[in-house]
Formats: sequence, structure tokens, C-alpha cells
Amino acid sequence: MPIRLLEPPDAETAAAMLAQSATDGLSLVPRGCGTKLSWGGDLPRVDAFLSTRLLSSPIDHFAGDLVATVPAGATLAEVNAVLAHERQWLPIDPAGAAQATIGGIVATNDSGPRRQKHGATRDLIIGIEIALADGRRARAGGRVVKNVAGYDLARLMCGSFGTLAVILSATFKLAPLAPASRTVIADVHDAAGASDLALQINAAPLSPSAIELQAPRHRLLIRFETTEAAAIRQSQAALAIVEAAHGTGTVVEDEGERDAWRRHEALVWAPGGLVLKVSVLPTEVAGVLTELERLAAGTGFAYAVVGRAALGVLAVRVDAPDDISVMAVEALRRVAARRGGAAIVIRAPAGVMARVDPWGDVGAASAMMQAVKSRFDPLNTLSPGRGPAGL
Amino acid sequence: MNNRFLDRLAAAVSPGALLRDPVELLTYESDALVHLRATPGAAVLPRSAAEVQAVVRLCHEHHVPFVARGHGTGLSGGALPVADGILIVLSRLNRILDIDIPNLRVTVEPGVTNAEITRQVAPLGCYYAPDPSSQSVCSIGGNIAENSGGAHCLKYGFTVHHVLGVEAVLPTGDMIQVGGAVLDPPGLDLLGVMVGSEGTLAVVTKATLRLLRRPEAVLTLLAGFGSIDEAGEAVSAIIGHGIVPAAVEMMDRLTIDAAEAAVHPDFPKTGAVLIVELDGPQDEVHELFAIVERVCHASGASTIEIARDAAARDRIWRGRKAAFAAMGRVSPNYYVQDGVVPRTRLPEVLRRIRDLEARSGLRIGNVFHAGDGNLHPLICYDEAIAGQAEHAEAVASEILQYCIDAGGSITGEHGVGADKSKHMSKMFGPNDLDAMRMVRSAFDPAAICNPGKVFPTPRLCGEVPGPYRQHPIERAGLAERF
Ligand SMILES: Cc1cc2nc3c(=O)[nH]c(=O)nc-3n(C[C@H](O)[C@H](O)[C@H](O)COP(=O)(O)OP(=O)(O)OC[C@H]3O[C@@H](n4cnc5c(N)ncnc54)[C@H](O)[C@@H]3O)c2cc1C
Repeated sequence: MPIRLLEPPDAETAAAMLAQSATDGLSLVPRGCGTKLSWGGDLPRVDAFLSTRLLSSPIDHFAGDLVATVPAGATLAEVNAVLAHERQWLPIDPAGAAQATIGGIVATNDSGPRRQKHGATRDLIIGIEIALADGRRARAGGRVVKNVAGYDLARLMCGSFGTLAVILSATFKLAPLAPASRTVIADVHDAAGASDLALQINAAPLSPSAIELQAPRHRLLIRFETTEAAAIRQSQAALAIVEAAHGTGTVVEDEGERDAWRRHEALVWAPGGLVLKVSVLPTEVAGVLTELERLAAGTGFAYAVVGRAALGVLAVRVDAPDDISVMAVEALRRVAARRGGAAIVIRAPAGVMARVDPWGDVGAASAMMQAVKSRFDPLNTLSPGRGPAGL
Repeated sequence: MNNRFLDRLAAAVSPGALLRDPVELLTYESDALVHLRATPGAAVLPRSAAEVQAVVRLCHEHHVPFVARGHGTGLSGGALPVADGILIVLSRLNRILDIDIPNLRVTVEPGVTNAEITRQVAPLGCYYAPDPSSQSVCSIGGNIAENSGGAHCLKYGFTVHHVLGVEAVLPTGDMIQVGGAVLDPPGLDLLGVMVGSEGTLAVVTKATLRLLRRPEAVLTLLAGFGSIDEAGEAVSAIIGHGIVPAAVEMMDRLTIDAAEAAVHPDFPKTGAVLIVELDGPQDEVHELFAIVERVCHASGASTIEIARDAAARDRIWRGRKAAFAAMGRVSPNYYVQDGVVPRTRLPEVLRRIRDLEARSGLRIGNVFHAGDGNLHPLICYDEAIAGQAEHAEAVASEILQYCIDAGGSITGEHGVGADKSKHMSKMFGPNDLDAMRMVRSAFDPAAICNPGKVFPTPRLCGEVPGPYRQHPIERAGLAERF
């Protein structure tokens, strides 16, 4: 049977559709534009998609409070276009911001290079409205940044992959748009050099908004978004650190800078391929890269890495036949685990996804995750099997 | 209390760790919200996570409620014992287990005080960012439970932004690890919901926290304004310039006078003072600071003082931090409220508070974290006058209603605890509370973990309203309310 698409025009209808599905015992997968549907586990038992794409207005911008409430179906690009009128933005920059909806970004706790300065989605969210599996609507948090009343369900929804509730709208803390930006592009000799340099930049009295690494080409992109004078001064200071570490660097701005960042994103996020997220301690990044280099050479697969070098979060892309991709997932997972970290499959060709557990071992907390899931969705109709720990 | 249970409890912890003597239990009858009191059946002071686990396991088996307690500085009765329950005091779990400077991580037991972490890592150029004003005495476990913040949370966020992982004992006695030193662990963000859950979901036995490096430069400014409204305009203009200060604090005339009487910070005798602090790289801070100065002038500041060194900065902060305790100089008693409004609604809410002041006949001082709209109205009264304590509490509750009307919150940092659970249903509807209860019942199906907190329950009879009373740590000069 083909999977049906439900497209409610407003939050009330969305909730009513959930209630109806619960009555009918139908399973639903909430989605936005569907950009991340290939993320997370397979969708073996799904009757319908519930798209929140039409929940795209209003975007309530409280500029004086540096806060906005945005509906789940608005794309990040739409939201930021509105916020830009007041020289503010929602400082989340995941790949594919043009199509990614707020609901999808929250559900996957997605973020990008500027996480270095602004944090991930879960660090910026301050309130949420959800539709529960039985069709009731509930809120948590609010529209003030400082608020400790009640449980923080907004954070619980971040990264829940549509397994607990349908996100209707979310409220975020915003950031002012910086007047100026410069990026230092630094090339060094090896993976260890790139990672060390990232840690040195992070320890220097600078305020970079991103410290991104690229592999196998050992390159760093270090971005400064602040006042014009400070961006110039800090990029020069960073350049001096690069040169002292025997690297070579250039500073780019305007179109050259935008282009560098576009190419950076495409290295991993261009269509196709297997993409994993590897997280380790920042000091383990060099080791992971070195082992990956060896693994790829030994097995003969092509790969690319971009990542938050100073935070220890990397996106690794592998382009290889399914068999080798499956093996690469297992090998990388072992490498990450040995170094105290984890590797999650974010996106994979169907033939690969069917043969791997995208989440890996979730540990002793998985029983509690199950318990939370069973309270929110006792009939297991929301994204069954899609979430971690078999949620 | 069942003797077999008590015997098993005594056997589960080190000798001397089980307290039953009513005199010994006196210390534990309340947290810093001293008018809510209860005597626990017993208090235990475990020395290890394993002992905590053994205690919770026994409570689970015998259906005995328990309450975790850090250092008892909470201001909402979060650590109020359950009569005939067990109080698990975590002050002996006070070791710093690991300091990892290259990765800017520290792993601690829950009884370590907030300030101790910074004290340990300061020589290495680092600090732990959340800075509640009780930081020299409150515990990290308590901070995690309350999602505590401080004056600098405008820029640096709250405890939740700085906790990467915890080890915790669930109400069944099972031990779980949630999050860890590495970011983005797979699975639901249980950590996100455990932080700020006020000890109602689990007992934290270990935590891994993020450290920050000390900023290169810190500049602080003290500006005097004719009125709160003018000072508020300056704050709006600063934010309008795209500047996010490390801290923005405001005080009105009544609290300025009180602070002057108490610690002589030599603040201008104006209608309001504004404190703005910027930190970060030297050049950036200086450039932005010049804008802040200009903005203050343009908004009508009558005086501007710039603290260029630590001594001058300390004086300014001393004046600000003294504001609560100093109210004792101008009023025999006072009630401290904690509410939040969207920053842009401050002028309107403060006008309502001024009207209320006139109507109620009680003086109300205002100090607040102006950057994030967190108000701490101080309601002055005299408990010697019959009925005035109750009147003050009613006034304090009415202010919370103003906060809710303006789209704000009933608590910005002190928590709901036992004190404000009755206000929860003003802010949240039945569905909202049910969704929260789903989490609660997943973690604690038997409802033995800090029962009676956070969620609304009928008001206890015989409960007396809560005037401000100086906490022993304040009397000892260890902390000021803030
Ligand atoms: C003078 C003064 C100034 C203050 N200033 C501020 C401020 O600026 N900002 C601010 O946010 N707060 C402030 N507070 C409030 C208080 O200090 C904080 O809430 C603090 O985090 C409480 O820590 P504690 O160790 O004293 O916790 P306790 O009071 O002992 O407990 C608080 C809550 O935490 C739970 N808990 C404690 N330990 C654990 C654990 N290991 N696992 C699970 N739950 C646990 C308890 O059950 C309780 O619900 C102030 C208090 C005072 C008295």
C-alpha cells in the first residue's frame, strides 16, 4: 500500500488528524519538506506521513526580546529572511537551510558550523508547542529566555525524530546579525596538524563563530563574525597562529567567503553517499582522522569529512559500493567507540540502511528512553522503529 | 518508620551516615525557603554513588518516598523533606574526579560547590560559567536540578548549556549514564529534561561539565538614570545595536538606597542605575563598549562610571549583590519574588507593580536581571503588624500574575518546588501538565522521588506564607541573594 500524505492546513487540523489516526490505529511519520526522511531508521510500518509544511505562518518576531516563535513548517531560510529585517537571525546553519523546516531541524537537533559559537538547536530552543499522539495539544517552556517553570519538554523534543509527538511550533533565542565576516582558510600538512591548529585557535583570545575542518585535504575554515575592525584583527591574529604552526593561510570575504562555505557544505552534503556523524572528544579528532585515512586507503573507498573540530563533532561521507559502506560503518563505529565516542548513520543508500543499525549502542539509558516513548505514544503510532534504541 | 527498613538502610551506608536524632534532623527540615518545614523520617549522608543507589533501591522496595538534597540553598522548597520519607543529603559526595583542560571538561560529584570548580581550574585560565550568587555554597547537583543561572547567563546561558552528561540513580534504584564528555550521544535528550526537573526524576551522582576559558577583557559600566524607563530604553538600544552584553542589571531607587546603607557602593542617587558588563577579546570589547557608553548618554544617563580594573568592578557588583540583604536596612521584613517578563514588557509590568505598591500600601523595591527580564521584586512589610505577612504574600502572587499576563514565567531561577506549584496551572493548561507528567511517570512510576513538588497539588492546611528570612549562609556573609 502506498504511504498516504496528510497535509493539515493548521495546527488544529494536525492535532485532529493525529487523534483520528490514533483511533484508527494508523502509524504516522511527521515530516516537513522531507529533506531528512532518509535520516534515522527505516520506515517499515508506516501508514501515512503527516506533513507540517503548511504550518508556515505566522512567524512571530519579538525583535526587542531577541526571540521568535516560528511554526514547524516554515523553512529556516524563510524564517531568517523575516528576522533579517531587524538584523537578527536564528543562528542555526545546518546543511540545506533553504528546504529544511523548523520542525525537521528540531526533531533532528540539527546544526552546522556556527554551533561553535551559538550552540545546537537544543541550546537555542526556549519553548515548544506539540500535538500529542492522542491529538491533544500541549506547550512547554515559553517565550522568555530565562524560565525554569516545569519540565523542559522543548529540549526533549530536540533529536526525538518524530517518535514522541508532532512539533507544531517552537520558540527560539535569536542572535544579532554580525556587521562583518571574514574567514581564514588554512592548509596544513596532516590530520593531526589540522586538529591541533583548531584546538590552538579555540584556546586563543578570539571569538570565532566556526572552526571547521576538512579532510582528506587537511584544511581548516575559521570564521569571524563581529564588527568590521574586530573581524579584520582577529582573522589576522588567526593567520599568525596558522603560520606559526607551519601552515599556509588566506583570508576571504564577501563572495569568495560565501563560495568557500558553499563548497565546504557540499563536500559532505551533496546528494548521494553514506553520511555518518562521528562524535568524540576534541583531542581524539586527529586520531579518528588518521585511522579513517588508513581505513580508506586499505579498503579503497572515497571519503570526505567536514566538522566542528573544536567540539569533536564530524560529518563523514563515504562513497562506495554497499558492501564496503556497511563495512565502513562498522569500522568507524569501532574507531569511535575505542576513543570513547559514537558514530551514527545520518543518511545512507537504502541498501546500506537496511543492513546497519543507524544509531548503534545507546547504552543503559535506552530502557528509560523506551519508557518515555511508551508514555507519550502508548500505541506506538508515531514513527515506529525510526528512533534510537528501537523507538 | 518501619524498623526492618531502617535496619537495612543503616546497613547499606557507612557507619554514622544515617541520622535519626530529631536534633540532628533539625538542620534538614527546610531549604533556604525556611517557612516550609517538615521533619524527614531519617536523613542519610552517603559517601559514594553505590551507597546512594543502595538507599534508593531500598526506598523503592519499601515504597518509601525520598528527597535529594544538595546544600539546602534552594529558594522554592525543592529540598523540603517528605515527613516520614528519607532525605538523601549529597554533601559528602564532594570530589572533583577529573579535570581535562585540553577538552575543557570537568567531572565532579554532585556535592561539589559551584565555586569550587572555578577555584580549581582558575590557575589554568578556565572557569565554570553559571554563576548563581549562592555559588560559594550551592552544590552542582542542586544547580542541575534547578537549572541555575547567574548574572552572566544573558550571554553564557544556564546550567543546561554547561552540563554534558550525568550519572544518576533512577527511582527504581537503577543507575544510568545520560550524555557524557562527548557531544551528541545517540538517543533521546533525557539530559535536557533532567536538568531543571528539581530532583523529581532521579538522583544525580556524577556530572561532566563544560569549562570556558577566561575572556581576555572585561569592562563594566555603571550608569545613573532619572527613571527605570530611561534605563530600560538604554537596554533596548544596546540590544538594538546588536550587542549581547555578558550581563545587564538594574536597580531602582529604593534598592539603591538600601545597598548604600548596607555596603556603601557609592552608587549615584538617581531614579535607577544600570550595570552593563561586556567581555571577550580585547579589541572587540573596547569597540562595543564605546557604543554602550554612547547609547547610555543618548538615553539620558546623568552619570557614567567605567570600571577599568577588578577593584572598581568588584565595588559595582558588591552594590548590586547586596541589594537583597540590604533591604533589611529599610524594612523589618521583606518577601523576595522571582518572575520573568519579556524584556520589552518591563516598563509596562513595572508600572503595574508601582500601582500595586500604591494600592497595597507596601513598599516594593526592584532589582532585576534586565537583559533577560528576570524580576526580583522585594515586597517590604512588618510581621509585627497583624496580617501584613499574608498581605505581602498576596502582593507577591499578584506580581506573578502580571508576569504571566505579559507572556512571562512564574520563575526564572528559583524553581517551582513546593512554593510555586500552586501557580503552575496559571501558566500551563491541563494538557501541558499532563505531557510533563508523562515524563515524570516514565522515570518515577511509583511517585516516590521528591513527591509533592513542581506539579500543582491542593494547598496544605496550616501552611503559613513566606516572608524573607535571612538564610544562615547570608548571615555568615557567604552569599547574597541576587
Ligand atoms: C542567598 C542565595 C542566593 C541565591 N542566588 C541564586 C542565583 O543567583 N541564581 C540561581 O539560579 N539560584 C540562586 N539561589 C538558589 C539556589 O542557590 C540554587 O537553586 C541552587 O542551585 C541550589 O543548590 P543546593 O545545592 O543548595 O540545592 P538544594 O537546595 O539542596 O536542592 C535544590 C533542589 O535540587 C534537588 N537536588 C539537589 N541535589 C540533587 C542531586 N544530586 N540530584 C537530584 N536532585 C538534587 C533537590 O531535591 C531540590 O529539589 C540562591 C539562594 C540563596 C540562598
